[in-house]
Amino acid sequence: MTVDLLPAPTDEQAMLVDASVRFMEAEHPLTTVRRVADGADYDDAAYRKTAAELGWFGLLADEAQGGGSMSGNGVLDAALIAAERGARLQPGPFVGHSAVVHALATAGGRDEVLAEVVGGTAWATWVDGSCELRGTGDDRRLTGSTPAVADAAACTWLLVEVHGAQVLVHADAPGLTVRTLEGLDVTRRWSTLEFADVRVTTGDVIECSSADLSSLAAVLVAAESVGAMQADFDVALQYAKDRIAFGRPIGSFQAIKHLLADTSLWLEMAKGLVAAAATSLGSGAPDGAELAHAAKSFVAERGVELAQNCFQVFGGIGYTWEHDQHFWFRRLASDAECFGSAAAHREQLFELVGTGR
Amino acid sequence: MTALDEYRAQARKWIEANLERRGAGDAGALRPWDAGDDSVEYFAAQRALQRRLYEAGYAGITWPKEYGGQGLSQEYERAFNQEARRFVLPNLGVAGGATLGVCAPTMLAHASPAFLERHIPKILAGDEIVAQFFSDPDAGSDLAGVRTQAVRDGDRWILNGSKIWSSGAYYADYGMCLARTNWDVPKHRGLTWFLVPTDARGVTVERIRQINGNSEFCQEFFSDVELTDDDVIGGVNDGWTVTQTMLLYERGAGATRGEGGRPGTGGLRRDVVDLIAAVDGADDARVRDLAARIHVDDLARAALNRRLVALMAGDPKRAMNLASYYKLSAGMYDPIRAELLMQIGGRAAIAWDDPSTPGAAAALALLNGRFLAIAGGTAQMQRNAIGERVLGLPREPSFDSTKPFRDVVRDATNWSGRVS
Repeated sequence: MTVDLLPAPTDEQAMLVDASVRFMEAEHPLTTVRRVADGADYDDAAYRKTAAELGWFGLLADEAQGGGSMSGNGVLDAALIAAERGARLQPGPFVGHSAVVHALATAGGRDEVLAEVVGGTAWATWVDGSCELRGTGDDRRLTGSTPAVADAAACTWLLVEVHGAQVLVHADAPGLTVRTLEGLDVTRRWSTLEFADVRVTTGDVIECSSADLSSLAAVLVAAESVGAMQADFDVALQYAKDRIAFGRPIGSFQAIKHLLADTSLWLEMAKGLVAAAATSLGSGAPDGAELAHAAKSFVAERGVELAQNCFQVFGGIGYTWEHDQHFWFRRLASDAECFGSAAAHREQLFELVGTGR
Repeated sequence: MTALDEYRAQARKWIEANLERRGAGDAGALRPWDAGDDSVEYFAAQRALQRRLYEAGYAGITWPKEYGGQGLSQEYERAFNQEARRFVLPNLGVAGGATLGVCAPTMLAHASPAFLERHIPKILAGDEIVAQFFSDPDAGSDLAGVRTQAVRDGDRWILNGSKIWSSGAYYADYGMCLARTNWDVPKHRGLTWFLVPTDARGVTVERIRQINGNSEFCQEFFSDVELTDDDVIGGVNDGWTVTQTMLLYERGAGATRGEGGRPGTGGLRRDVVDLIAAVDGADDARVRDLAARIHVDDLARAALNRRLVALMAGDPKRAMNLASYYKLSAGMYDPIRAELLMQIGGRAAIAWDDPSTPGAAAALALLNGRFLAIAGGTAQMQRNAIGERVLGLPREPSFDSTKPFRDVVRDATNWSGRVS
């Protein structure tokens, strides 16, 4: 099963997806996801290494930087990966990591860090929050804290958004505390970051606009959600065909059939919108940000509604830990709030295009 | 110069000499609720223009030569349409659209050569407009359940019953009519198509006053209308075969009516922008959120249509089933969009001193919002089609597909809920 985010991928894109899916299903199948959710560890370094060899982390960097896209549109290629990862609830902060690659690759100046993140020797993620940067030159201080961040504890590098600017911080920097949280999405580790006078030099300030990073992260997290939507929907659809009640497969009842038809419509709309957003954003088309805001807003709401509908089809079995559906439900509800809520993206969308054509 | 280039040049010359240029605000597209002038006199003038197109050889460019067409390939038709796009083409209204887009293509697939020789050239010349006499008052989405009937009487057929939702029948010359010709077989096997003259004795056409105030839809009443075997389209009692062709054209037309390739980006649609301005809501957080919701849905629908076009191109066999997504999205989101517009418009959308205000437009959108959720197969029909033919869910039990239609009607009126 693949998500089929694109109706007609290129041969290169199809190969990337196939190889990636084979890797995920061998290295980190749902049985592993389940064990990690219950507290077990997995070989993160080995996972990262193979993922890097598949080219996941270089899609948004140039070939000269050790990267390169498959189709010429790195955002679209990354969205394809994100979608397949979302379907399989894969570990690691791929969305935030990709945002950091993009920032470092376009801003330049920190090639040693870029090499680490493209090469997969370290995780990085992009973090927003209410932080302040004071001082000048090489003697600046970062203070403040962040809301919940996914998989920050696994990261060696953190790119912190401060009033529209980006600041690169090493995880071992003095003054940085990573405090573990419990999370709704148990397939990930959650934490909050506290910066107490963390020292920042001129070279740590990365020249990349928050708007660019926000659009990119919005599209990729929406792609990840679309994957989770597809996987959850597929299981619910099969259940509707298999489960017998009142002398019939429950999927023969219009109450169930119509619910699933509407749900599949949202899934198709979500795929179309996310693919359009990734295509425009990655090709530098003028409507990239407009579509990115729309995609995140649409997927955040319809993704959760899809999971609710699937849950209803499962009935009581969906309320058990043993059934897989709650992992996608949790993922979709968490993704909906990460990298900008639906309402936040609608406000940004209105700000961008509210005066009309 | 290729033959196509030569054709294009000739067409351009004829178009410039014979057609008027379009005005700036003239969109050209005709929807059921913005017909503009819908008088019989207006359509008489449009028929005259259609005749000039026909006489010059630009009507039915791809249609068979023996029936008055030109027998050319699609690229010639495309070339003509490209050359003509800034000019006013004949507007035969929705009935004309149905004639050329649905009725005549279905006739070409199933009617006898003698029938086609009698009618197709006149259709192309604008002399015969054929309305759709499809739905009964008692059967719409369940088209095979029609009860309008034709009874054999010697070498004649006697038609009785009623048809409804026939767009533009009041100015049409004929109706393409689905009637029951055998009650003692299952419903799909006792149907026959007839071409019924609207001026035949026993035919009454009444315009329906719609909730938006327009009167484009009609209802017809048939009282002992006499028809002959010459009026039959396809085989007697083989009407469902013909219907399937008809539905292909009907749904195909629906599928291509969507925005097709356009992404819909570049800002809020004009109606939303105008409404926000009318209520001075650009700085109101609630209005901004409602407007952005509309735009998100508009973009998602446009993206869906582009995805569907690509999926259909890759898998033509599934195309008809996938088209249900287009129809369902319209049926689901048009009413939502209208409600969001009403929330933005507030009291400006419930009363106005000028019907051209954005508030009045929002109210009209509300009234028209369920059009595609009902017309041409309800949203529930689309959900069944998606559920069973796209998602592969098991079928509903059927109560009417194997027993004689006479018994179906009897059993349904004495419904017990028990199936033997």
